[in-house]
Amino acid sequence: MQRKKPWWQNAGLRIGIALVMLVLLGGAATGVVITQKAPQQPIEFPHNFHVGTGIPCAYCHSGAETGPVAGLPSIETCWGCHQQLRTNTPRLAKLAEYGSTNTPIPWVPVFIQPDFVHFNHRPHVAAGLECKTCHGDTAGQTVAEPIPGQNMGWCLDCHYKMAPENFTRLSDCATCHY
Amino acid sequence: MSEKVEAKKWGMVVDLDLCTGCQACVTACAMENNIPYTGEDETAYGRGLHWIRIQRYWKGEYPEVSPTHQPVMCQQCGHAPCEPVCPVYASVHSEEEQINVQVYNRCVGTRYCANNCPYISRTFNWFDYPHPVPESYSLNPDVTVRRRGVMEKCTFCVQRIRHAVDTAQAEGREIEDGEVMTACQQACPTGAIIFGDLSKKESAVSQAARSQRSFRLLEELGTEPKVVYLKGGGNYGG
Amino acid sequence: MSKKLSRRDFLKLSCAAAAAGMVLVGCGPASRYVTRVPYAEMPEYQHIGKSTYYATTCRECPAGCGLIVRTFEGRAIKVEGNPNHPVNRGKICPRGLTSVQGVYNLDRITGPVMQGRRGKAGGQAISWDEAVALVKKRFQETKGSEIAFLLGAMPDSLYDLTSELASALKAPAPVRYSALNYLEGRDVWLAVASQYFGTPSFPYFDLENAEIVFNFGAEFLENWLSPMAYSRGYRGFRKGQLGARGYMVSFAPRQSISAAAADEWIPIKPGSEALVALALTRLAAYARSEFSPEITRQVDIKAAAEASGISEEKLKELASRFAGSNRPLAIGGGSALAGKSAFETASAILALNATVYNFNQTGGVFLTPAKAPSERFADVQALFEKMRSGAVKTLFIHGVNPLFDLPAALNAAEAFKRVETIVSFSSFPDETALASDYILPDHTMLEGWGYQTVLAGTTRKIVSAIQPVVVPLYDTRSTADVLIAAGGLPYKDEVDFLQQKILPLMSAGGTFTAPELPSFWAKFLQYGGWWQKSADYAAIDADALLKSSISMPEPHPAPADQYHLVVYPTQFGDGSGANRPWLHETPNPATTVMWNSWVEIHPQTAKKLGIHDDDVVRIRSEFGEIEAVAYLYPALRPDTVALPFGLGHEALGRFAEGRGCNPARLFPNASSQNGNLAWADTLVSLSPTGKRRPIARQESRHGVYGDGE
Repeated sequence: MQRKKPWWQNAGLRIGIALVMLVLLGGAATGVVITQKAPQQPIEFPHNFHVGTGIPCAYCHSGAETGPVAGLPSIETCWGCHQQLRTNTPRLAKLAEYGSTNTPIPWVPVFIQPDFVHFNHRPHVAAGLECKTCHGDTAGQTVAEPIPGQNMGWCLDCHYKMAPENFTRLSDCATCHY
Repeated sequence: MSEKVEAKKWGMVVDLDLCTGCQACVTACAMENNIPYTGEDETAYGRGLHWIRIQRYWKGEYPEVSPTHQPVMCQQCGHAPCEPVCPVYASVHSEEEQINVQVYNRCVGTRYCANNCPYISRTFNWFDYPHPVPESYSLNPDVTVRRRGVMEKCTFCVQRIRHAVDTAQAEGREIEDGEVMTACQQACPTGAIIFGDLSKKESAVSQAARSQRSFRLLEELGTEPKVVYLKGGGNYGG
Repeated sequence: MSKKLSRRDFLKLSCAAAAAGMVLVGCGPASRYVTRVPYAEMPEYQHIGKSTYYATTCRECPAGCGLIVRTFEGRAIKVEGNPNHPVNRGKICPRGLTSVQGVYNLDRITGPVMQGRRGKAGGQAISWDEAVALVKKRFQETKGSEIAFLLGAMPDSLYDLTSELASALKAPAPVRYSALNYLEGRDVWLAVASQYFGTPSFPYFDLENAEIVFNFGAEFLENWLSPMAYSRGYRGFRKGQLGARGYMVSFAPRQSISAAAADEWIPIKPGSEALVALALTRLAAYARSEFSPEITRQVDIKAAAEASGISEEKLKELASRFAGSNRPLAIGGGSALAGKSAFETASAILALNATVYNFNQTGGVFLTPAKAPSERFADVQALFEKMRSGAVKTLFIHGVNPLFDLPAALNAAEAFKRVETIVSFSSFPDETALASDYILPDHTMLEGWGYQTVLAGTTRKIVSAIQPVVVPLYDTRSTADVLIAAGGLPYKDEVDFLQQKILPLMSAGGTFTAPELPSFWAKFLQYGGWWQKSADYAAIDADALLKSSISMPEPHPAPADQYHLVVYPTQFGDGSGANRPWLHETPNPATTVMWNSWVEIHPQTAKKLGIHDDDVVRIRSEFGEIEAVAYLYPALRPDTVALPFGLGHEALGRFAEGRGCNPARLFPNASSQNGNLAWADTLVSLSPTGKRRPIARQESRHGVYGDGE
């Protein structure tokens, strides 16, 4: 007498499940990879050029020294200089479009934290950290690129190295999570 | 790095002689801390997410009957029963603020902490409560919007503490007494709530805490609460 | 075969589950890229990542508390009290706190609407140009005498503007009322002050410095006159700034939060407050070895004791304690000032104050400097009578909801049918807005301009500033602008009108001034208003009061199967707060009930009638009936039932509709001789319906359904 196989030993079903899993896992892996890549920006902003001409970061990201977020530049900031300059490249033509119609540029922030993390720029800037310590060498980038693996361990690692005497305070959950 | 900052011992005093039970603190807390409303059925099941509640008990028989009112929020215990039971270290003691913090991103929703809290001051997100547009426009950006399956409770408005500490540090000064106001204290129409640094002898809160009327809730459990009540208004301890 | 999973299969399935979990986690960060839209032109007062704070004034009730509103990137985040404002000094009540849920309410009217049919939601959107043209046409085509304005909780600036407009159109003066007027006895205090002091101003009771307070039903911690000012007064009274901790005796048939805050509660028989106050006046004069004043001539101590249920000895003891105190004070409000003899009761309470000479004294009675507009119910009645006769062709309504908060016996809906055109300026789809032909929504309180004249709770002149803290969310328009444009008033716009109105304040000796208007205006907005440096009240004289003779109110004991009715306002105020979810989620202070209304019945009475907690009870008066869920309330007279006011809407959006019951259906359409709505004499009968409906209450953490956490 042949024993009937239980349903989960059905080969077709197993292959089907494996395929579904493959697709899902592939999707997940892609998702993880995508987050480690620079997102598509409305204008391919050349950081390298701007940093190269010696413009300080805070000229456009002006909130970093005084508040929790650095902020993204408004069209006013860009247009302040660029309406005096040439608009003969495609990127500048795009900017001119935003500038002349006074529409905000829908920037995609690159360094963002989840909702439950409350990062504050001000104490980091006050402690003398340079922007590139966390944001990488923007002088070599066009659009800003994320730093892979920038998670809590990354934060704490730095907190421990930079200020072991303050580590109790700097590793406190309520420092960032509330 | 900057010099070591002295740890504060934040504490609160509630003067029960002044508390009228008007519920302004309850609403103020909800507005500050992005507490969602849960609706009639959920509140009837006892799943309302109030971080602070007014305990109203009747005393005496008609006509000598009168209610007692006692605002109860997380007592921020020094020896907190909620902390050792959390399997994922989501309920932890903050060395810096000397309060109990609930780390939402760690919380997996075992609810052990709520079961072990003698003050019933923890509330649980049984569902994802919607924040539809445009209602969501008034959410406080300094406070995490919690999702389903996460335990939450009074934080002593830690976002305000952090803000004040950060500002004081940036301005290179000590934080002043009364600089941090919790939302409930700020709203309280009779000024029954005082908040501040208990480790400073001259602060308003520690002066009030040394009053002869002071007591703590369920003191005998040895939880060392940071909330001190002053007897009055029919509440005489215990 | 076994249904059990083998260990191996279990592990396989767990792996699958773990993988699925990974997928879900993996999708998390992928969705994290969002676009941020920076300001096109960042306003100069805005700083990246920082909140901006604006001072403005609360319009939720007539008290006029100062607010500081925290805004973040153009959105109103949190409402806080203005610490410098003399009315509330930084404190704030639940209704003020939730005003952000008014601006960001899910059920707002988003633009001007022409209603297809009255009483039905929906209609045709029109443009503001059409709307203004329409109002203009109504102004021109309707005879002045056939235009009517019905106003309520609105900025005083808009009231002043409408009054100007009415006289320009030769229309009758606007009629203004709010449910709080007749629930809290506001109109009675105005009538008494006009009669005896010659000014329609509210008395200010210096609770803060009083030593012994007799409170006749005033719910000073909840809604009475100026709740934040009197809550602060209560603090001072308890702290005993000028000596001992104060002693408060509360005379009220139901224990409100304010009555519960007293040291002694005397459950007085409803309707006997005037007799008790007069008896106490007489006994107090006697205790001071003085002649009893004229006003107490007719009162008989024994009769008063009998009518009120307080023994003669107790009355004597209370009177001598009152007379022997350094700073005694008597206050009154609520249901005590809402009957046919409300005027007499208020006069008697003032006489009790006068007999201990505390007028214009620290811890006594003062007269608020500002003159209050009339809020008589009789005027409302007359207006509806006029509508019924067909003599009103066009009716403009702002800030009030007569179909909800007026007695059903007045039959406002019937009167509306005789009016050709009704224009509502409501921001929310309330009953009245839906019953009108056009809805031209005004801005909500955090979006509009204005000023509020502080009428109560102070002895200074205060004009509190209202300014927008956020840009209007929807296509709404300030009613003042609509009226100026349509009525051809000589102002450029609303701000121009406001600036002209505050011009006299520049030289009136306030806490600040400025050489020219623009900088004065800027300071006016920055500080949240203008106020005097110190008290500036007109001294009041007790002579006319003590020498007057008032008719003795007749007690009206309830027959065995009927009950006295006490209706009290809650955190919903005049009912307009019923569309705010967090006001529903805030438990009622006395009963801890949320999201519903109830009827309070004494446990003895309930036992007698076979009513249990959560039973649905039918409450019937001569004028109507409602059903409510029973709440056995121990601090209430057995011959009285109490109902909260504010819920029971048929419209006003998802949070208000069909929730709770409306006690206004039980009220008579009766005004007393002095024009207040006399609802407190209403008798009701109770009968169980056999239905049960558990209501949400916080007092039992086990939940009313029995299986909660």
